Amino acid sequence: MQIRLQSAPILLFNDECGVCRSIAHWVKKQVQAQSGTASIVVRPIGQDPEELRALNQGLNIWDAYATIHLLMPDGSMKLGGEAVAEVLRHLPSTRWFTWTFAVSVFGIRPFQAILNLAYVILADVRPVFGCESCGTPSLWVRPIRWMVNWVASLFGKSHHPSPHFTSLPASGRPPQAQNI
Amino acid sequence: MPGYKSIDRIQTVTASTFDRLVLKGEGPIVVEFMSYGCAHCGVIEPDLQQVAEIVESTEKFFRVNIAVDRELSEQYEIQGTPTLIMFLNGAELGREEGPSPDVSNILAVVRQPYES
Repeated sequence: MQIRLQSAPILLFNDECGVCRSIAHWVKKQVQAQSGTASIVVRPIGQDPEELRALNQGLNIWDAYATIHLLMPDGSMKLGGEAVAEVLRHLPSTRWFTWTFAVSVFGIRPFQAILNLAYVILADVRPVFGCESCGTPSLWVRPIRWMVNWVASLFGKSHHPSPHFTSLPASGRPPQAQNI
Repeated sequence: MPGYKSIDRIQTVTASTFDRLVLKGEGPIVVEFMSYGCAHCGVIEPDLQQVAEIVESTEKFFRVNIAVDRELSEQYEIQGTPTLIMFLNGAELGREEGPSPDVSNILAVVRQPYES
């Protein structure tokens, strides 16, 4: 299988999640504001497992949807909070503070740890902000989700009895894969 | 994510191959209507692969990616993902929406329509 060589890191985003699309849109705007060559390539994960494997042989499409992935030009991958830190390092408006992520105290990188936690929290709360395809929220988010569902039910919006099911939008159309 | 094997025992069918592989296919055929962006589909995927391996000799497993093949999703009135539809000789015998991610449960779901 041929591996495509990239000179800039590739940020993969979940194109079926509104929150992810908004963040990817922001990153893309920051990249476009730069002069010269793009420091990051922003692209949706899409629906083709083989196409993703062509970018990096170790990349599984299910994993790509589960966690943010940044594909580095050297063939490595950064995931989660580490991927976010690397993206921020490549953006002119944010790179000034990214030195903090490398600060280590007794072997622990406190600022990176905070960023990792922030990423986990954001990933967890996505279902509350309308990303139904993001799955069952974590335990701590469920009360918030139940409250949102309860309020929605007051307005006549029904919910599927199975907790392992992603309902399609009311229009009956499948979640649409979109480019930003 | 652990649990995903490199061997994919579930073949993807599209609108152009659905008729030949599913409707005109022989014997029990299970079709999963899914999307890669659906987290629930990702959760049941390892279990589904295992079930596909267990029933390999008697049942065929296919998947339809509804983000790509919308016509099929509309034709079969798919309300969400994952949805399993059990076919025999082109006719739908049963369906299950959002099965619990558990091998024994999925096994029971895909066998039940063919036993009654």
